Amino acid sequence: MSAGERLGAAATAVAAVAIVAALTHFLAILLIPEVATRDAFARLSELGPVGQTIALARPSPSERRFPYADPALASAFCRFDLSGGPVRVKAAVGRAGFASLSFHARRGAVFYALTDRAATHGVMEAVVVTPSQLRALAAHDDEDNPSQDLRVVSASVEGFALLRALSELPSLYPEAEAQAKTLSCAPEPMPK
Amino acid sequence: MTTFAKAILICALGLALGLWTSRAILEAGAPFGVVSIGPWRAAAKAGSLDADPYTLAVIERSGEIPLGLGEGLRLVARVDDAGRPLMARCVYRVGARAPAARYWTLSVTDRDGYPIENAAQRYGFRSSEILRAADGGFAIYVSATAHAGNWLPVGAPGPFALALRLYDSPLSATAGGIERSATPSIAREGCA
Repeated sequence: MSAGERLGAAATAVAAVAIVAALTHFLAILLIPEVATRDAFARLSELGPVGQTIALARPSPSERRFPYADPALASAFCRFDLSGGPVRVKAAVGRAGFASLSFHARRGAVFYALTDRAATHGVMEAVVVTPSQLRALAAHDDEDNPSQDLRVVSASVEGFALLRALSELPSLYPEAEAQAKTLSCAPEPMPK
Repeated sequence: MTTFAKAILICALGLALGLWTSRAILEAGAPFGVVSIGPWRAAAKAGSLDADPYTLAVIERSGEIPLGLGEGLRLVARVDDAGRPLMARCVYRVGARAPAARYWTLSVTDRDGYPIENAAQRYGFRSSEILRAADGGFAIYVSATAHAGNWLPVGAPGPFALALRLYDSPLSATAGGIERSATPSIAREGCA
């Protein structure tokens, strides 16, 4: 083999390594959300069953479960599973300075969020549905008397709703905690 | 070396390199979709369905529950105005303005995003509890030793981070539009 041939073979090998590395890299990035076993949903799943409202512990140095959680906020969540039908999520608006209700898909994305500013009659409420449940509900809608429900199409069958309530002062934290616990996730019957 | 052995070696090297770069990039934080405003960084699309794969992978690996676009925005600073890493042995003055939001909170976290233990058990400030100057401006002192005024303690030696959260902010959907002059500056006052 001449020097030139050797150089060519080495360059080919380096290029091949780079191509394999690039493919591995992009596959790894795309697959991580699918295979992550310690993501937020998995961590929440350790805390209780689907459908139950569970208050999250106040963020503190000893509570190392959810990074960048705000120590000024009280929060509660419930997991939903739409395979059995839509789920109605409700939360009361209390005296907290700020409250928000967010809807999270199984793999990290937030597919909907509303704040207490969007509450009607002191309640933040939405019905979480799959695309096919939305079509079924729409087919049953009465045109003269349309549904007042806010229907939110979930990005995945499983997911969770989270209520955050801000305490304006450290001494008001218990009130924010009480407000966070007003979250409820109940199965919504489909029209017959 | 046989062609087969060469192919195995190339694949192994490529695989290792691909996994290593993925890990290194995610440890450093998502490379895309991150908005820099002075020392502050925000994953602008973290709370939306169109988060890029890198942002999603970072969220899924960390276990963080992101804020939805309609709820607010989280910014993190690991360096001061001059680009030097935030160190517990230094005193920092953070202020005097924060971007438009109904509420904001500023907290000290470790490199992983968790609060740091301190004797005062104070992990952050809310915009509604701090002392302000007559013109509405504020100064929060971040240091290991007690400081007059709004003092945010850093409980452990070494590097730390500051998390600024804007709740119900008109800017959360357009993080790129936040002016540097609207964000708090992080000025190093001195080091022990």
